[in-house]
Amino acid sequence: MWESVKGTLRTHPRSGALVAVLVVLSVATSLLPPLVLERAVDSLTEGRGIPWQLAVLYLGLTVLSDCFETAQNGAITVFGQKVTHGLRSTLCAKLDRLPAGYFTGHPSGQTTSVFVNDGDTIDTLYSDGIVGMLADACKLLGILGILWSRSRGLFLILCFLLPLLFVLTRHFQKGTLAAQRENRRAIGRVNSHVPETIHNIRTIHSLGKEQYMEERYDTLITDSFRAINRANVFDGVYSPIILVTQAAVVAVIMVGAALGPAWADLFGLSVGSAVAVIAYVGKIFGPLESIGMEIQSIQSAMAGIQHIGEFLGEEEREPASAEPLPEDLEDKAVAFSHVTFGYDPAQPILKDFSCSLEPGEQAILMGPSGCGKSTLFKLLLGLYAPQQGTAALMGKRAGSLPEEEKRSLYGCVEQEFSPVPGTVADQVTLFDASVASDQVDRALELVGLKEAVDRLPQGKDTLMADGLFSQGELQLLNIARAVAKEPRLLLLDEITANLDSQTEERVLKALERAAQGRTVLSISHRFSRMMEGQRIIRMG
Amino acid sequence: MFEGSIREVVRPDRILSYFEQEKAVLLVVTATGILYNLGMGAGPYFEGQLAQCLYDIFQGKAAAGDMVRLAALYVGVIFLVQLSRAGKRYSVRLFSNRVSRTMRHTLYHSLVRLDVRELQQENLGNLMTKAMGDVDACAEGMRKFTTEVFDTGVVMVVYLGLLLAYDWRLTLLACSFTPLAYWIANRLKKQVAQANGVYKATEARLNTLTLDRVSHALTYRIYGQESCRDAAYETQLTAYEKASARANIFEGALGPLYDAIAMAGTVVIFYFGARNVQGIGWEAWNIASFTTFLACFTKLAVKTSHAAKLFNAVQKAQVSWQRIKPLLQAAAPEGKNRLLGPVVPVTLEVRDLACHYPGQQEGLAGISFTARPGDIIGITGPVACGKSLLGKVFLEEVPWTGSILCNGTDFRTLDREQRRSLVSYLGHDPELLSTSIGENIALGDPVDVEKFLTMTNLKEEVAAMPQGADTPVGSEGTRLSGGQQARIALARTLAHARSVLVLDDPFAAVDRKGETKILEQMRQAFPDRVILLISHRLTHFPEFTGVLFLDQGWGSFGTHEELMQQEPGYARLVKLQQEGVDLDE
Repeated sequence: MWESVKGTLRTHPRSGALVAVLVVLSVATSLLPPLVLERAVDSLTEGRGIPWQLAVLYLGLTVLSDCFETAQNGAITVFGQKVTHGLRSTLCAKLDRLPAGYFTGHPSGQTTSVFVNDGDTIDTLYSDGIVGMLADACKLLGILGILWSRSRGLFLILCFLLPLLFVLTRHFQKGTLAAQRENRRAIGRVNSHVPETIHNIRTIHSLGKEQYMEERYDTLITDSFRAINRANVFDGVYSPIILVTQAAVVAVIMVGAALGPAWADLFGLSVGSAVAVIAYVGKIFGPLESIGMEIQSIQSAMAGIQHIGEFLGEEEREPASAEPLPEDLEDKAVAFSHVTFGYDPAQPILKDFSCSLEPGEQAILMGPSGCGKSTLFKLLLGLYAPQQGTAALMGKRAGSLPEEEKRSLYGCVEQEFSPVPGTVADQVTLFDASVASDQVDRALELVGLKEAVDRLPQGKDTLMADGLFSQGELQLLNIARAVAKEPRLLLLDEITANLDSQTEERVLKALERAAQGRTVLSISHRFSRMMEGQRIIRMG
Repeated sequence: MFEGSIREVVRPDRILSYFEQEKAVLLVVTATGILYNLGMGAGPYFEGQLAQCLYDIFQGKAAAGDMVRLAALYVGVIFLVQLSRAGKRYSVRLFSNRVSRTMRHTLYHSLVRLDVRELQQENLGNLMTKAMGDVDACAEGMRKFTTEVFDTGVVMVVYLGLLLAYDWRLTLLACSFTPLAYWIANRLKKQVAQANGVYKATEARLNTLTLDRVSHALTYRIYGQESCRDAAYETQLTAYEKASARANIFEGALGPLYDAIAMAGTVVIFYFGARNVQGIGWEAWNIASFTTFLACFTKLAVKTSHAAKLFNAVQKAQVSWQRIKPLLQAAAPEGKNRLLGPVVPVTLEVRDLACHYPGQQEGLAGISFTARPGDIIGITGPVACGKSLLGKVFLEEVPWTGSILCNGTDFRTLDREQRRSLVSYLGHDPELLSTSIGENIALGDPVDVEKFLTMTNLKEEVAAMPQGADTPVGSEGTRLSGGQQARIALARTLAHARSVLVLDDPFAAVDRKGETKILEQMRQAFPDRVILLISHRLTHFPEFTGVLFLDQGWGSFGTHEELMQQEPGYARLVKLQQEGVDLDE
């Protein structure tokens, strides 16, 4: 963790220094008002009034300390945000370098959580953790220093008490945290019980299990109730214990001060100092509690840092081989030459596989599931690299195509349509600014969706939402996405959605229109009509 | 501690009902709350007295013994005050915890009894899920309200009373800054709320974008859009950084600012208080009065800033309450499930049945058949012929006309309990609970799980699992294979089987051998039930008592042989399957 903190400070030296200065200033000013009070009371006990300068100074220091606190909070926020921004940019850049296998092997929710939640813990690490701890430690030391100068006895008592109270505080905080964690788990179960009930409502009703489900639910909410209750006990008792201790400490020093000259070395106090000391004793336990919480924040941030470290340490994909293509593959639209590949190299799915398509040719891959049809596509798309042999398309080695050329060279209709957050047009362009508006129109026209889209309130600028399109229409959008930049090669994966026969017919027609005039490689479809008169490549 | 049991609320749609139900706890809250807040003045008062006593000792007017007595009294009083505080803090939290539990229970009570159709309409299910989150906000608001009635209300009165008693003129003067602080804070609150709104919206957009970038990473890679998406992400990150800094700075500034203004009164106290002590002011004060007054004033200033927070919490709670109120209103007073009586053999007569999905024109019509105890009726037809639709008629989930008679009684006249005591239904979806295999089958009833595992051919497979029948099935059964899920669902339905069993494609994920075995054992175990078996696999149809063939919205009923001759569509299906072309494969 220290590495990460050091690195951060090196990248943002000025923000870091600003935060430190403001912390010191806000702590110093917040500690001074009781000293002014001491003066004021002493001056009162000596029978004089309070000079107006003291009154203004008291208020001035209070206001100043409030201002510094505001500035400090602001600076910490800005600093924390800068750090998380930089971190998230780094994380995002890492995405580009991860191999395809990472994305299939890790649920996207988990990776997103590294960006969102773990990213936020870094912010908390600074604002609620390190900087907060710095400020509280300064405050604690400052108060102890002042008390040392006023009452040695009190200082010694506190030196003895503070560690004990700190242990107590940590004990309570740990207990609370454990109870809260348990409650979160319980609430998680409670919350998933509701959608589960809705999902299973037929069975529940048909078997008359309402009462049973209700009892299960009650058990779950009782778990949560108990966990919260435990946390509440800690919460209810902690602060009263601290305040009683505080009163006892005050009582002891006052008695000590009253004992007279014999104890003056330890407890000698003027009346003004006594008032100031009481004020300081009231302030010293706050930072103690905060430090406990900050330790907790840092601990939970550690887990976040670890997740981020693991993510950044993931193995990266290797660039495609720069070797020139063998001459005989150069003029093929698609070519596999002696390809051997397995996701686990020890268990190859493809063994010495070769085949090729001339430009303009249309062919269908057939074979039982698991024989490697989809794998061939993934090799062509450059998502994986063959362990042996060469995969090439449009005269280039697969995986070596520059980003901006991809869409005009090939289009790929994926198994499932995945909507992206944006407008209907964005579904087709995928936010690609180089796809012109009329290209979107033409693509929609080609797949037969133009009319349906024009009927939407804002046409193709309507925001994409669930229920806007039927299952079949989503498949059509999927095709439009693939053909938007009029690619020369079309790869058709097997569509997995369940469509009724009428819709299936529509999708089929759209595919036929999309295939016209292009090189097409498709994976055996339920759309058997596509197969008529095409070359069939048997696998497995 | 003080857990109590969950009780039904009399009128769940009235917020007062919840307060009423927790009368006992609230009584404790009130007693400890008043005691504690009255005692709040004790701290500053005694601290002033302590300083005064020290002064008197120095002046020779008091002895050390006085200080010891005073200090002991001080600690004793503080102890009592803090004891009531602990009691108040705990009991008020107990109150909110119990209210939240009752509300959750009430919501669930109504949810689990909602009609399937109601649940599917208007996204009610979704609404319910969200409502569960609102419960917490609501209970939290009720807690804060209760707390603050004492902590802000009572304590402010106590402090103010104390201050006024010391010097009413000075009190009024010193407190005149508080309204100003309020006014400024209120002016700023709009800004804060607006900045916060922008921040939340930006955060939501960033999170959507992150999820999109990660979950569609491969799509973007295939289409060559990775760097374009990275740039968009970077733009959003910058927007987020700005919005978040703005919102946080606004929010962070409010408290100190408020504090600074409210504390302006201290200048006045220093000046006029000193005059009081010197004997030239409005009142005659000693040192104790001065320090007590100052300490009280500081605490009051801090307290008043909390009053705004109280307002916010109550407002938030009101919004949540408005959202859940109608759902609580819907809470059916319906009590416990009645116990189902013994299974009565039933003769089922269906005459001229027509049905359709709500909101659709086309459906099924002209369906008539009779089934006697022990009969198995196979129901089949081409893809999307309405097989499942027919099954749902028995759940009263789809509108239907015609007549269904159970032992001569019109099905339509039966209530939910009576219908369920006659018909058991199993749909496509196994609908498993995320609990153990055994519990999924027994559902809390004393069921011989082994027997039904054997009947559904699961016995060996389950025995091979390390935890046997106690193996958890995972969320929606995902830790098991599709075939295992389907058979556990079948076992569950069989374990609770009533007179008529409606099974919608129970063997879709079971191989032929398994199907044969399970059917054989079902026939032996249920010789007196009517089984309506909806299936697209026809292997065993020749052995069934009757077959209902659905095609183009029409149903024809007869024995397998009769239909083979009369219905070319049925004959073609059977022939196709004999040739080995299964529609699944």
